[in-house]
Amino acid sequence: MKPIKKPEDPLAIWNGQDRIADNILTSVTAIIRSGGCSWNRCKMCQYRHERFVGIETGELIRLMSAQLNKLEEEINKVKPQVIKLYTSGSFLDPAEVPSEIQDKVINLVKGKTLIVESRCDYINKDKLKMMVETLKEENDSADLFIAIGLETTSDIIREKCIDKGLLYSDFQKMTEVIHACGAKVKTYLLHKPPYLTESEAHSDMMKSIKEIIPISDLISMNPCTVQRNTHVESMWKQQAYRPPYLWSVASILAGSNAHVTCDPIGGGQTRGPHNCGRCDSVILDAIRDYNLSADRDLMQSVMEMDCSCKKEWEYIMSEEKSWTMPLTR
Amino acid sequence: MKGVEILSRDGTARYGRFGVGEDTFIFPAAYQTTDLFPAISKRDLTNIPVLEDKEFVDRYLVRDGEEPVPLHIRADNEVPSGTTVITPNWHTLLTRPRDLCSFLDTLKSTIPPDTCWYLPGAALPENAAILVHAGFDLFDFIAVDLATAQGIFCLPDGRYPEKVMEEGLCSCNGCSSGNLLEHNRIALQQELAHISRRIRDGTFREYLDGRCRTKPEFVSIMRHLERSERMEQYTPVSRSGPFYATSGDSIHRVEVKRFADRLVDRYIPPVTDVAVLIPCSAKKPYSLSQSHRKFSQAIGRRAHELIMTSPLGLVPRDVELAYPAAAYDVPVTGYWDHEERYQITETLVRYFTRHPYRRVIAHLDGDARLIAQDAADKAGFELECTCQSERPTDHESLSALSQALSGERKIKSHLVRGMISFQFGYDLKAPNLEVKGSYPEQVVKRGRNLLFSTDPSHGLMRPTFDGWSLLETGYRVYIDDFVPQGDILAPGVMDADPVIRPGDEVLVIGDKAMTTGRAVMGADEMIRSSRGVAVRVRKVKKLEG
Repeated sequence: MKPIKKPEDPLAIWNGQDRIADNILTSVTAIIRSGGCSWNRCKMCQYRHERFVGIETGELIRLMSAQLNKLEEEINKVKPQVIKLYTSGSFLDPAEVPSEIQDKVINLVKGKTLIVESRCDYINKDKLKMMVETLKEENDSADLFIAIGLETTSDIIREKCIDKGLLYSDFQKMTEVIHACGAKVKTYLLHKPPYLTESEAHSDMMKSIKEIIPISDLISMNPCTVQRNTHVESMWKQQAYRPPYLWSVASILAGSNAHVTCDPIGGGQTRGPHNCGRCDSVILDAIRDYNLSADRDLMQSVMEMDCSCKKEWEYIMSEEKSWTMPLTR
Repeated sequence: MKGVEILSRDGTARYGRFGVGEDTFIFPAAYQTTDLFPAISKRDLTNIPVLEDKEFVDRYLVRDGEEPVPLHIRADNEVPSGTTVITPNWHTLLTRPRDLCSFLDTLKSTIPPDTCWYLPGAALPENAAILVHAGFDLFDFIAVDLATAQGIFCLPDGRYPEKVMEEGLCSCNGCSSGNLLEHNRIALQQELAHISRRIRDGTFREYLDGRCRTKPEFVSIMRHLERSERMEQYTPVSRSGPFYATSGDSIHRVEVKRFADRLVDRYIPPVTDVAVLIPCSAKKPYSLSQSHRKFSQAIGRRAHELIMTSPLGLVPRDVELAYPAAAYDVPVTGYWDHEERYQITETLVRYFTRHPYRRVIAHLDGDARLIAQDAADKAGFELECTCQSERPTDHESLSALSQALSGERKIKSHLVRGMISFQFGYDLKAPNLEVKGSYPEQVVKRGRNLLFSTDPSHGLMRPTFDGWSLLETGYRVYIDDFVPQGDILAPGVMDADPVIRPGDEVLVIGDKAMTTGRAVMGADEMIRSSRGVAVRVRKVKKLEG
């Protein structure tokens, strides 16, 4: 493994705006390197490679604290209402993020809304209650969002296509626990994991969104991207995988009865969700606007657009089958 | 009709029919397969990519008991005769010719030949020929309809933008009414009809040679297949039509390689230690040509006549009737390219190493002589040259040739032993054989008994029962204890000599009868099939007791 450059800096840090509960809030997002995801098996995930390997806990705490110092500087500079802290795994897994670091984060963002990600396995009531209490000490409108990668409500798809090691029923129970502790749920869905036709993937998202609306406070849909050193990448190289069409992404957003946010990473590129290359940027811009405006009419108007590739997409949606796919690159 | 029946074959390409319910359909052809096989519309969420590993395949491969049965290279694929099978997602292999061919060879060696192979989502007018050649039978309209959705106008030579449709390149119903979908479907169906016709005529390989040139991967697929054991097993030993060697790839055809191999492995030359290399002639068999009459006259049977030619390399006079020596045609320019030279030199070196002569005379001009000289240097023998000018047939050259052979002893006629060794790999040492008839129609007799006759249109010797009794081993097909009524069908075949290829003369042996005839299938196919004619019967002889 290559030596890690600048281990004391976050992998990425930026500020922006986020729409939460119909309010547009300023946010700082940081991706910090951690001990790494303990599950480490999902077929599309590259983030699992971004970890410290073979270091003592003491050193891990030191390096993570150093990264948090950079986050603190950014918070002091931007004074955001929301902090999103991603560790490329589970924030609540003590093997990945030592408890000292977890506590340090809570104290750092006191009085602000915090979004962290975790697998269901590491969520426990006492810890959540303590975190919510600390956050709200000075400001009752500060919320704790636990973001969970449910990916789909279909256990069959999650098992075969992602290898997530999670059941929908476990997720459902966990949303009750989270809500009971006074925290909120952000759910990630994965649009078009491998082994699905364009239309199977589309139906999977429509159904999943519909099912989680009642139990999820925020929904974010990630169109699958071909990341390096993943199983999906090797499938893609063997022509066995094509990322979703942006038409599909737009159509899901336009057709869902909830505001689903979406950040199409690699949008418009062959490795990311893409159309023909001519209409991609218009649709990507519309999706970015929609993230903040929640204006469903905008997504609907995207679907009324025409492009020479739209017929191709319609054909793929109706004729691509599990035994003859993917039909396009 | 139930099941699958192969009616004609040309190499690995097949023409036949398959049954669905009460109905019978022919192949190769494209159909609306979701109508034909409703089960495939219910196979949602069953995707397994072609290159997926065994663990995943074992866990997620779904077989619903309906046709077409999905195959996977890493699954156990036990499929009975008569089944229609599908190779899911194999359209993604078209850009991986090596994998495509090796996977096909593997699957085809485990699955009975009398199965119908459905390749979904791949067939276009431009690739139909190579896909049929690879061994696929059944196709759909998915790829052409996708092309329609993309505004692509499909023809056998490739793809064009939709607007080209107006330029009169095709005048089908779709084109005259401006309906791209209809045109693209018709273009595919027409191409498959064309292919079907060529398979039944036994001229598909020549057709393919032209068709596959439009894309490099098609040629790659053809070249990979050409080198496969499967192609050797399924290529007929003879065809009734001409053999056109019109491209550089012709030199790699199974028939060419087989001819050279048989010269070295099977052929027994006449008893003599003098050989003359002479040029080929356009007319076949060579000995009916003007030039060869002159050569033969000058040689006066005092040497073994060996004809140097492309692409076969070397044709001894006594097997000039053997396929494809009497059937081939090549573009003649006088220029021999390097691949040809290399291949022919190789054949000459192998031949002369296996069959050494005391004297080898090259009565050749131009490039041919250079190739012979090269082969002589490599094989380590002296080459005498008798061609005095650029014309081997002129008086000076011919008398030089005759002069060079003065004092050499005449050799005996060798047609029977030569042809029999070449065709059956058997050394026939029967005395008192008489060869009669007007060449190339010949019969071989001993006394009143007819033993063999030539079949010049196929380049084969036909043995009678008496003829077979002289050939103690080889080319036998074994059947159960029944007296054949008509042709021998594949289910009746118990065993067959593995060297048998389609078109071979065979002796069928059972407890109750023996028959002579010509193999329709190769040994592999007649052993593993449950349907179709295995041997076209000529004569049946009931056995006593």
